[in-house]
Amino acid sequence: MSAALEVSGLTAGYGGAMVLHGLSLSVQPGEIVALLGKNGVGKSTLLKTVMGLLAARDGTVSLFGESVSRLPAYQVARRPLAYAPQEKALFQDLSVEQNLRLGLRDAGSFERRFARIADVFPVLATRLKQRAGTLSGGEQKMLLVSRALLASPKLILVDEISEGLQPSVIGRLATVLREEREQSGTAMLIVEQNVGFALTMADRYLLLKRGEIVGQGKVDSPRSADQLAAQLGV
Amino acid sequence: MLVAPEVLPTYLVNTLIRAFLYAAVAITVDILWGFTGILTFGQSAFFGFGAYAAALVFTHAGFGPGLALIAFGVAIVGAMLLALLVGWFAFHPGASPLYGSVITLVLPIVVSQLLYSGGSFTGSSSGLSGFESFDLSLEAWFRIAGVFLIATTAGVWLFLRSDGGRILEAIRDNEQRCEYLGIDVSRVKILLMMACGAIASCAGFLFACVQMVVAPEYAGFAFGTELLMWVALGGRGTLIGPLIGTLLLDTSTSYLSGSLPFLWKLLSGLAFVVVIVALPQGLLPALASAIRRAWRRGAPASVAPTAEVELHSADPQPLAGLASAGRLALSVKDVHKRFGSLQVLRGIGFAVRPNELLSLIGPNGAGKTTLMRCIADGAERSSGTVRLNDHDIRHSSPAACVALGAGRKFQNANVFDSLTVAQSMRVARTRLKRPSLWRRERALALPTAALEVMRATGLDRQLHVASRDLSHGMKQALELAMVLALEPSVLLLDEPTAGLTKAERTLIGRILLDLTQSHTLCVLLVEHDLDFVHEISTRIIVLHQGQIVLDGSVEEVVNSDLVREIYAGAATPGAHG
Repeated sequence: MSAALEVSGLTAGYGGAMVLHGLSLSVQPGEIVALLGKNGVGKSTLLKTVMGLLAARDGTVSLFGESVSRLPAYQVARRPLAYAPQEKALFQDLSVEQNLRLGLRDAGSFERRFARIADVFPVLATRLKQRAGTLSGGEQKMLLVSRALLASPKLILVDEISEGLQPSVIGRLATVLREEREQSGTAMLIVEQNVGFALTMADRYLLLKRGEIVGQGKVDSPRSADQLAAQLGV
Repeated sequence: MLVAPEVLPTYLVNTLIRAFLYAAVAITVDILWGFTGILTFGQSAFFGFGAYAAALVFTHAGFGPGLALIAFGVAIVGAMLLALLVGWFAFHPGASPLYGSVITLVLPIVVSQLLYSGGSFTGSSSGLSGFESFDLSLEAWFRIAGVFLIATTAGVWLFLRSDGGRILEAIRDNEQRCEYLGIDVSRVKILLMMACGAIASCAGFLFACVQMVVAPEYAGFAFGTELLMWVALGGRGTLIGPLIGTLLLDTSTSYLSGSLPFLWKLLSGLAFVVVIVALPQGLLPALASAIRRAWRRGAPASVAPTAEVELHSADPQPLAGLASAGRLALSVKDVHKRFGSLQVLRGIGFAVRPNELLSLIGPNGAGKTTLMRCIADGAERSSGTVRLNDHDIRHSSPAACVALGAGRKFQNANVFDSLTVAQSMRVARTRLKRPSLWRRERALALPTAALEVMRATGLDRQLHVASRDLSHGMKQALELAMVLALEPSVLLLDEPTAGLTKAERTLIGRILLDLTQSHTLCVLLVEHDLDFVHEISTRIIVLHQGQIVLDGSVEEVVNSDLVREIYAGAATPGAHG
């Protein structure tokens, strides 16, 4: 079976300055991988390059065994994957419901699928008709991750999703992402600054430094997450 | 320049004089549109104003040195007053950018209509001609127009590359951040409009003196749009591009429109479309980058420019500009905020002394950010009073609240994309240190706290990196440093450490704590990282559904059942981070 995401020898950056230097990694179907590292080491750049929002200078990106390296972003987005970027990617003038429906491929399934989301983020259920731009910062994050989950993708890329969320919601979010994996075998690549949160979910972690992978390992149990976080010093 | 008028054919000299004057007007369009982001169709109106000031005085009062001086005075002062009026309409607080452009679009239409309907006084559609003017040769006019263009270009060039000129780019990038750095954006734009109006009017005045004929078309909308085209073709935001664009296009137009009257309009229109589609930056930048590429072929990639900025610490100016500091840094009384039928804040009241680090926690959507907004912008709240350092903020703009001591960091990194780190920090100091309008300084004096944040996050080693190329966390750090550079006495921080690593958080926490203890400063912090809040706060307020449900010491709040129930959930503080 081919990997959900396979990146090899990827070099990319902005203008003349390269941020990623020949980076390789893979995420297997049903696997949750946490990508850790300090600021500016290229975590978000990697996700943007995978999505085709940033052109790769060199190297290849494959999704489910097919190369998408040279495809424009809208064609990459047609693959069964979802991306929750770090900076606001909502349609501010559309309602919460309209934003959610845009993530769906078949409109009929909205009610059924949304029932599960409403369990995790009850606040969204009460605000379906409200304009997304009037949600608070944390609520917008909830909407972003809900939209990604609603499409039942085979691969989810999330960029710092815990930022700005209250602790109890972070806890629920970890649970729902793990459940999604158990039920649908969804693979996930999770970029996080909150190491504790990332490692409570992940099977494996990768440590990124100056655009290269400098360390990796398995996460055995949630208990070891805190120790790892301290060890990594991120 | 000196011999050109003697050797060039008379027709070309004549054409070039006009092109020189047009180019000066095109430069003002470039300042407004290319550098400041104000799309303007109205510079032709100021050109026409200057031209008619000369023509009307010379026609109706006669010509003489004294009268010429009066006409010149009318041209400059009148244009500045007109610009003040138009600027106020276009940029008054609350006006949208589109509204501003519409006003500049209406201006030339109104001015030319007034000229059309002025009967024999303005000469209506045939304009004014046959008036007396300076008795100078064509060669002399050529030199005067040339010197005027060179002086205008040089002056504008000095200004644009000066520290003061950076503010224009900052406004183009992010007006909101400028306002919250205490820069009165409306005022800057109006002053700029007045300066640009005066230059255009001066060009118009010279034009009338040379040509001794004026017509309403010179103040019209078509000419205003043509100016935009020349600027776009030459390369907006480059200063030299619009200048060369205008000289080439206006000169070729006057030659070719005679032999190819209709075809030429079509050709120039097509050229415009082709350039906009193929070279959106304009001709000059495209040419320059092609030359640069050819030059560098085979050579290694260029290295980043070496540091030209020297950081050092500034003398503290606490509460600069405030007559007196009160006993309370901040007091909020019965503040309500409604969005339509939605009640976001209901009767919020609390007071903060200097030296307090007050954390504001609560579930997502509790109204924390809205409360911050109500403190930093007098127009935000629906009712209630907010006092900063014992001064009622009333309905003050964000810039005026900054003058009362407020400094606000936004939830999402809010920076100037095209400015470098060093330039951004200098813009942030504008309120406390007036930047030079013609010089660039090497030394950059910043308050200790801002320097410490820059050192802790490594921003001090990226002074020449454009903000847009910084990572998300570094943008957050940059914004925090910019706000600290304001030397605020009430620091409003909305998740200041989001996107930063644990180590950087700890460092910033220490800096904040130190600031509150050693300076007369209070911090109001919105944070979700309870560990972080626990470590540095002196007091915590819990907000829930727009009301304060708890206000107490750190231990009281962190251990309360209420907080566990509505906020932290099963997660204990230790599980986070």
